[in-house]
Amino acid sequence: MIGFLRGTVIFFGAMFLQWWWNTHLAYWGAAPQFLLVLTILIAARRGPVLGMLAGFGWGLYLDVARAELFGASALTLTLAAYFVGVARRQVDLRAPGPLAATTFLCTLAAFVGLGLIGLTFTKSFEWSSWIAVIMTPFLNAVVVTVASLAWDARRDR
Amino acid sequence: MQRETRIANIILGALSALSLLLLSLPLSTPVRSFKAGAGYLLDPLAYHGEAGYGRIAGLPDRIRGLLQADIENQGLRAELKRGEWLATTVSSLSLENDRLRGALVLKAPAGRSPAWVHVMERDPVHWYRSLVVDAGSDRGVSLNDPVLGPREGRLVAVGRVVDVRPNTSTVLLLTDELSAAAAYLSSGTLEGLVQGQDGPRLRMNYLNAESRLSEGDSVYTSPTSATFPPDVLIGLVAKVNARDPFLTFQSVEIAPAADASSLQELIILRAKPPEGESKPPVYTPVFPAIVPAPKAPAASVHISSTPPVLNPEEAQ
Repeated sequence: MIGFLRGTVIFFGAMFLQWWWNTHLAYWGAAPQFLLVLTILIAARRGPVLGMLAGFGWGLYLDVARAELFGASALTLTLAAYFVGVARRQVDLRAPGPLAATTFLCTLAAFVGLGLIGLTFTKSFEWSSWIAVIMTPFLNAVVVTVASLAWDARRDR
Repeated sequence: MQRETRIANIILGALSALSLLLLSLPLSTPVRSFKAGAGYLLDPLAYHGEAGYGRIAGLPDRIRGLLQADIENQGLRAELKRGEWLATTVSSLSLENDRLRGALVLKAPAGRSPAWVHVMERDPVHWYRSLVVDAGSDRGVSLNDPVLGPREGRLVAVGRVVDVRPNTSTVLLLTDELSAAAAYLSSGTLEGLVQGQDGPRLRMNYLNAESRLSEGDSVYTSPTSATFPPDVLIGLVAKVNARDPFLTFQSVEIAPAADASSLQELIILRAKPPEGESKPPVYTPVFPAIVPAPKAPAASVHISSTPPVLNPEEAQ
């Protein structure tokens, strides 16, 4: 019961955090993608199933604010969780370094994936600004490192 | 592990299919409705989040404003206190100004060097005996200098200096029982000796036993007084005492013109001013005097420039 409540709080808290940061602290479109980062972290620590479910839900939340391509973020986060879940069998994603690198690559892949989805369904490549594409992977890598350290610290207690 | 992989694959397929379905559907009415529903469910998060953030974000400004208001409040309170103190000071100065303006039109008797002084303290035990003024030998005050006070636009007799210190002097009031001054009555130029009684009243003795006395007569200092210049008002006859058949003179009670309890500024008639003190400038009133000075009942006052010698009669 406590785990469910904690999960619910994290689920909605992450949505709120993403919205708040994008609204108040994003400059030139560059902001950490907390939902993607948490999806990756959950998939790396708890497996792809839970990561995909959480990522799909958070993706729908992101898609609500989107005028078109309803479902693109849900698909992207679901795929990210799946691939991280697969990758954790080959790579030690408990270590901060590999996790940060995976997040970095997943973020770039997510940008490309969203662009391709847009190209497929709306005939236009969905492209964010260069600053966002360059900065966001670094920011996500930093956030996932901090989050994983916090996760480990909490487990050690 | 195989089981987890299988479940993951199934979920991936299902969610991907659902996502592709959502993506492939045009933004038709059902999709719009779904988006609207999802937005309705999720928008409160943003709405209330924004409202909460607005409150939290405005908190530092409000706290800063509160602190500034508190600081301003303290400053204004201090300002108010200063204002009250200033108002009190102005009121006091205004009253003093009125008194001094009235006193400035007074003309001191000639032949002496007048010095205005302030009353510093009174003897609380013997209210009618003496008081201390803020001028001493530094301003040329010497023993037995007569002391006058302003009263209703004229100078009246108050007492004489009995103790001189560097910066202060003690004035023995006429109401002290050791004080005495030769005086005369305005009605018949009868001379007598005014003596203090350690009370609010004076007593005038040695009046001619055959003369007729009446209440309300003015009593002035006599030219024979060794301390006071002549024709300075001492007071009014308040009561004519019943004649004592065993005495060869009459006596009257005098209400002194100078009220010992209300004196604040006095004038000391110095024998000579201290060295280096220039003569006071001639006062030309800009405004008309508040209380016009009544004419002296007698002729012009004249005092010898020589230091007074204590009259053995007055010293008793």
